[in-house]
Amino acid sequence: MATVTNTPVSDLLKSFKLKTKQQELLIRVSILCLVYILAFIIRLFSVLRYESMIHEFDPYFNYRTTLYLTQNGFYDFWNWFDYESWYPLGRIIGGTLYPGLMVTAVLIYRILHFLRFAVHIREVCVLTAPFFASNTTLVAYFFGKEIWDTGAGLVAAILIAICPGYISRSVAGSYDNEGVAIFALLFTFYLFVKAVNTGSLAWSLASAFGYFYMVSAWGGYVFIINLIPLYVLVLLITGRYSMRLYIAYNCMYVLGMLLAMQIRFVGFQHVQSGEHMAAMGVFFLMQVFYFLDWVKHMLSDTKLFQAFLRITVTCAVAVGTIALGLGMLSGYISPWTGRFYSLLDPTYAKDHIPIIASVSEHQPTAWSSFMFDYHILLFLFPAGLYFCFKRLSDATIFIVMYGLTSMYFAGVMVRLILVATPAVCLISAIAVSATVKNLTVLLRSKNKGVLTGSTKGSSSSKASSKALLDQSQPFQKNGAIALLFGAFYLLSKYATHCTWVTSEAYSSPSIVLAARGAHGNRVIFDDYREAYFWLRQNTPADAKVMSWWDYGYQITAMGNRTVIVDNNTWNNTHIATVGRAMSSYEDEAIEIMRSLDVDYVLVVFGGVTGYSSDDINKFLWMVRIGGGVFPVIKEPDYLVNGEYRVDKGAAPKMLNCLMYKLCYYRFGEMLTEYGKPPGYDRARGVEIGNKDIKLEHLEEAFTTSNWIVRIYKVKPPNNRW
Amino acid sequence: MSQKIRTAPKQDSQSTGTIAVADASAQVSMDPFFHILKLVPYSFLRPPRLRLKLPSFSLPSAMTVFSLILLTYFMVVSGFIYDVIVEPPGIGSTQDPATGAVRPVVFLPGRVNGHYIIEGLSSGFMFVLGGIGIVLLDLALDKNRARSIKVSYSIAGISSVVIAYVPGYLYQSFELKLFY
Repeated sequence: MATVTNTPVSDLLKSFKLKTKQQELLIRVSILCLVYILAFIIRLFSVLRYESMIHEFDPYFNYRTTLYLTQNGFYDFWNWFDYESWYPLGRIIGGTLYPGLMVTAVLIYRILHFLRFAVHIREVCVLTAPFFASNTTLVAYFFGKEIWDTGAGLVAAILIAICPGYISRSVAGSYDNEGVAIFALLFTFYLFVKAVNTGSLAWSLASAFGYFYMVSAWGGYVFIINLIPLYVLVLLITGRYSMRLYIAYNCMYVLGMLLAMQIRFVGFQHVQSGEHMAAMGVFFLMQVFYFLDWVKHMLSDTKLFQAFLRITVTCAVAVGTIALGLGMLSGYISPWTGRFYSLLDPTYAKDHIPIIASVSEHQPTAWSSFMFDYHILLFLFPAGLYFCFKRLSDATIFIVMYGLTSMYFAGVMVRLILVATPAVCLISAIAVSATVKNLTVLLRSKNKGVLTGSTKGSSSSKASSKALLDQSQPFQKNGAIALLFGAFYLLSKYATHCTWVTSEAYSSPSIVLAARGAHGNRVIFDDYREAYFWLRQNTPADAKVMSWWDYGYQITAMGNRTVIVDNNTWNNTHIATVGRAMSSYEDEAIEIMRSLDVDYVLVVFGGVTGYSSDDINKFLWMVRIGGGVFPVIKEPDYLVNGEYRVDKGAAPKMLNCLMYKLCYYRFGEMLTEYGKPPGYDRARGVEIGNKDIKLEHLEEAFTTSNWIVRIYKVKPPNNRW
Repeated sequence: MSQKIRTAPKQDSQSTGTIAVADASAQVSMDPFFHILKLVPYSFLRPPRLRLKLPSFSLPSAMTVFSLILLTYFMVVSGFIYDVIVEPPGIGSTQDPATGAVRPVVFLPGRVNGHYIIEGLSSGFMFVLGGIGIVLLDLALDKNRARSIKVSYSIAGISSVVIAYVPGYLYQSFELKLFY
């Protein structure tokens, strides 16, 4: 009778009641929407704490080029020769950058303006990386669905949305190539695996265009062009050659290679560089396989075919080796460049190329870095590998190879943890999804087990095993519930860790420093921007600034002045000249500075604030790089018993070189800490050795409020002697 | 037939019947290398009768590959490459200010991107143990085993996963000191 009175309401509710399939779709779509929003918001910490600004060093160059692109159009951008950096050499920007990021940002900017949202290009630049991170979660969902099933896809999307390994380079304000490149990488891999699974021409062509986008976005495309041939090779070895693989690889390679040559920075490297030869070799090997398959199809005689097979394979391998040898000997095919060679032989950079070895991101990885960036994914990864090996298919072989190669490279270089993150998230998602599925099947099997045992007439062994199952049912069900709670606990700890890491470690803009004051309040040091804006407003427009290459991009972008060397580090000799000037006595340095037309010198000094990434801590690298080109600079001259010191016991060359003088000028009178003598360097923790510094050819122009950035003006030569 | 092509037809034509002869002759006529070699050294040289077998190459099973992969994963995650290049000490040490005794320090203090060798290896080992634990859990849920084995697998699996979480927990306790 209650139903009669509630008829209209219950009818309405019944019309909303969904079938199971629709319920599942609703749950999936809502999870994906929430994950999309989560991936975006977790990256917004620094925008909320400080302001919407560009972080670090490299993004300032990207921002400057994007600004140029919006103001001058694509043709001028593509043919841009920049005379404001690397004075007096200049830099061909159009031919030495990867335009994908800038073009993407400008495209979004144009779309927003078309919809009449008048945003500044800086806001678009700041928020490009979180936007693409959200898109990456969607691609991860589809990829997981392709490899395993929709459950794994959803878990992969969630894991990759908050994984710190990815957040570190895609936080809001980090306007760098990797923000877009990881999306392009995963997208290309997804399209290729889809093409191999379906054998469709459309998906293969889509993967070629995805590869083109990746090439335009980041120099790490070399990873794709080596991983995919390796994957094809593994498939061929394990006997999984098929027409689908043939179509997918051929289309992707040929079209992808032709498209990649459109980027001037890449040029003809796909046919000339040693790093791309694996792809070409596998391409020819595929043709040989196809040819053999066709011959086998034509011949009905197997013995004949075996002989033919042996001859052909021997000939093909011989011809390939001879061609490769000829190419390398004649110099047409260049050998592996230093950056990528140091991945195969990690000790190479330390001995031969100090510039590559000096970048802190290029150091090998310690376990704590892995832990910091991956947390529980580190032990879910081997479990996921096990599940992949249990159910081997073309797609799981791919993800296993991607995971293993990228983990090895992540072990060699800290920066490459970023490339390994999608693979680790996907494989861990498989582990989580498979385990949870096993446990929930156990939870739900109780009712089914009882029903089938009683209704169906099963065999005796099956009945006895079901009986055993029935006996242990409650125990197993409780165990499964406990394990599910355990899994929930682990995943929630993961989420807590990720949020904490993002908030504390990866959301600092680097250009604005923050510290805790004596009472626990947050103190902000905005010295960098103060100095750059001083440069912009108080120096003549054609002034040239000499500083270490770390600050070059920021000086050109914010200070709007010409610099001698910047972060592009394309000319080692020029950098070594600056390094030599910084490490010489003032009289020798002034000669070098006059020859380079330098007007201002900028140094970064952390002695007052305790900031440890200043030029005195980087000084030994200046000596090494300068000494690598000019043998007059010898590193042992600056060390005492192999130790680097700045106090009274320091080497005399150290106490009188230009960098020391510029950093510690007038510092000897400064009281930095209560209870310590004047001239106490808080970053090194010692009292400095040479307090009475006199500058002959330079004069102090500006020191920021916390003494972090110091600018000196080069005095013109004396009029009369 | 695992002998090389140039010796096979000779033996074949002597020992087998007409069909084999036709086969052999078809093989003989097709191979150009055979013709060249029949002429140049082997018209006056007589190859010895050896029982050589070409090494047959069979792919290892999936689980063999998986165990090898676990080993390399252990090496990568415990920071083996960092150990080789940077050569940190096996374990750190501090001096107790009160007694003057030297106490070992397990975790490298003060930074995230460095470790001592023993710290790295033990953490790597625990992660691999955790992975194996989940694998054991999956094996325990497989229906075709005796109950006792299933129970022991599940207990081993759960304890392994709990142990694997220990590095994470310890790590959090001192990384908090790092940023505050």
